[in-house]
Amino acid sequence: MNSISKRQLAALLLITDMFELFCFGGSMSLETLYGVLAGIALQLLAALVFAAKGGELKKQAAVFYLVYAVFCGGTLFSALWRTSGAVYIPSESGKGIWGQLLTAGLIALVCLYSSSTGIKPVARAAVIAAAAGIFCLGIDFASAVLNADWSNITVPERKGFFYEVVRGGALSGGLGSMVVLSGEVREGRQKAFVWYFAAKAAVSAVLILTVLAVTGGIMEITDFPVITAAQLSQPFDAQRIDSLFLVIFAVFAVFSAALQVMTGAYLIKRIFPQFVRWRSSTVIAVTIGAALLISGRELLLIRACAAAAALIIAPLSTKRSAAKSSG
Amino acid sequence: MEKGGLLPSLDDSIKEIRRISGGSSDLLINRFVTGGIHCALLCCEGMVSTSVITELIFEPITDIPQQKDSHGLFHYINEQLLLSTDRPAVRDYDTLFRLINSGFAVLIAEGISFGLAFGVQGYSSRGVQEPSGEGNVMGAHEGFTETIRTNMSQIRRRLKSPELVMELFAKGKKSHTDLCLCYMKDRVPKSLMERIRRSLDDVELEAILTTGHLRPFVENGSFELFDSTGTTERPDVLCSKLIEGRAALLVDGVPYAIVIPRLFCESFQTLDDYAYKPYYAVFIRWLKYAAFLAAVLLPSFYVAIVMYHPELLNSTLFMLLVEAEKKAPLSIVTESLFVLLMYEIIREAGVRLPKPVGGAVSIISGLIIGDAAVNSGLVSTPLLTMTALSVLGGLVVPELNPQVTVLRFVFIIAGGVFGLFGISLLACAVLVNICATEDYGFPYTAPLSPFKRKGMGDTALRIGIREMQSRSFTVEEYHE
Repeated sequence: MNSISKRQLAALLLITDMFELFCFGGSMSLETLYGVLAGIALQLLAALVFAAKGGELKKQAAVFYLVYAVFCGGTLFSALWRTSGAVYIPSESGKGIWGQLLTAGLIALVCLYSSSTGIKPVARAAVIAAAAGIFCLGIDFASAVLNADWSNITVPERKGFFYEVVRGGALSGGLGSMVVLSGEVREGRQKAFVWYFAAKAAVSAVLILTVLAVTGGIMEITDFPVITAAQLSQPFDAQRIDSLFLVIFAVFAVFSAALQVMTGAYLIKRIFPQFVRWRSSTVIAVTIGAALLISGRELLLIRACAAAAALIIAPLSTKRSAAKSSG
Repeated sequence: MEKGGLLPSLDDSIKEIRRISGGSSDLLINRFVTGGIHCALLCCEGMVSTSVITELIFEPITDIPQQKDSHGLFHYINEQLLLSTDRPAVRDYDTLFRLINSGFAVLIAEGISFGLAFGVQGYSSRGVQEPSGEGNVMGAHEGFTETIRTNMSQIRRRLKSPELVMELFAKGKKSHTDLCLCYMKDRVPKSLMERIRRSLDDVELEAILTTGHLRPFVENGSFELFDSTGTTERPDVLCSKLIEGRAALLVDGVPYAIVIPRLFCESFQTLDDYAYKPYYAVFIRWLKYAAFLAAVLLPSFYVAIVMYHPELLNSTLFMLLVEAEKKAPLSIVTESLFVLLMYEIIREAGVRLPKPVGGAVSIISGLIIGDAAVNSGLVSTPLLTMTALSVLGGLVVPELNPQVTVLRFVFIIAGGVFGLFGISLLACAVLVNICATEDYGFPYTAPLSPFKRKGMGDTALRIGIREMQSRSFTVEEYHE
């Protein structure tokens, strides 16, 4: 695998997290933001411990991260299908399971092509996609802010801080990829992790605050607050610009899935070196199968536990003999 | 071609030359006696200058005093006569024919198994003219010609530094085309030049008639939509590339030079950018970026939004489009593909036909067919407007026209079948493909990704010339 930069790794992971935030279901509040930030802080600490220890993953750990990549890929596809009602996808609309499979198949095709080019091109493309995405989201949300009610930000939470930390922790589908791919980062793990978590905290905070300001008043009847906030962005009286959001949504979906597929394919190569061909195809087929099993469920607690396990297992399962590669 | 050494007998040698050439009419063999030795001067008709050959070779050679033998004659010519500056020795028939066919005159003599060649080229060629493709307002109006030595002199005139190296060699089993590898030896790493030379060693073509014959050998072998090597027909542009640490390849008979490596952002840069004030150059540059995006995406966005996402339009625009499209008999995708295909056919006809007829074709198609198509209701006015805007946008970046043309069609189909979702998926695939484009370790998308802050000064912006002077940029900074 070729080496990538800390910005490229951060972009790849950030896209996954932002896509998960787009698909975030249920109501949001200021405590959601605290929960997400607390989750990020905990994950950063665990990641820094892993970075300080360094080393290469053991085979058993690689198996765990392979399963984790498939699970996260499955939740991604599942989230895509769940939100397809809110974000209009012509191939899926009103076509039931076949529409869902067609959408997944199209994404799978692009993922397969992307993973066939290697991590380096995808990482380079992710930086451009993330920059363009953040720019477009900025426009989308800046125009949404014009219609925002900032008093909504103080809407009280009903479900408790612990629940929000769990939700925040669940928004981390890229953690497995982070552990696996961090060894390929040129500048070292620590810098890459700090870059990623800092960017994630900043983007999440801006996004959640804007969403609260825009959709806080109708949060009770909102299924997907981020999507609704984007759809409410109306900079002009009769002009909608949320087409930008549709494009970003699809682009982020592809990169998120591609990250899991590449991680899975990389791990298969390590676990089964004799398995030379069809690695990416196998991962994507199993991932879509997992998505069908998950079938519309959010599985917040399981995702949060899996994310925590991904970070705890990482420092415990590195080979001592391996070269220390921390930054 | 015959590799054997020259025969010492003049008659046998001439017989052998006639046999190899198959009695070709343009091979001229002038036999004469000078210094008491029987000689023959061989040249190719139309490739040498008659006045030069008379003045520099025949006149001095006929004045040579009596010589003991052929070796004495050749020694006298080499030591006492200047004749011409370019005087390679000929030891085999392969070299002999290569030189004759390159405009050299070759002298062979009785009793000696090598010949002397004199550079007396005088074939007719197109003079230096304004480049036809790379328009420039404030820069030089000289372009490359088909003659490689003229092109070399044009570069040398602009870069008088001894660091500029020009390596001349021939490729093509049948064509023996002269190629010239140019680079600044203090700017290009030796390893890169070695890799380029190794790539060129793989060329085993019979003939090299265009830059397109060589580019695949110096480009990455994988499937790339965009070219990781560029071409230019401007010596001033090539000089700027050489100074930035790139290598160039000149091909005899082609008025274009290949530039290695090429970056995506360079397609949006012109020499005029550096002649204007930075604020205007930045404006023009961003205009080109927007034009490129519009050229690729505008028709597909129109198709996707009208077909699947009409809620994204404001009511006035929506009503206008409904009114226009309800009269059109074809579906929007078919209609837009039809309009674009029509345009491509007209463009191709305009390019291939003789210039006066080509112009007439453009007028007839633009005014008559376009007007008739709209008036008959076959094509809607908004769609035609979008297509025209997109086509115009493509013309702003002519270097990317092949890619823009094909991508425009593919994006329309993706938008027509899957809406904005399809466009986004295709955009991802194209983006990954562009990012995978790489030549000798130089990423095509640099300095955008991998991000190089220094490089953005001449990509997103155009910093002042004073700042550029202190920057001393070479493309090596982008190497990964």
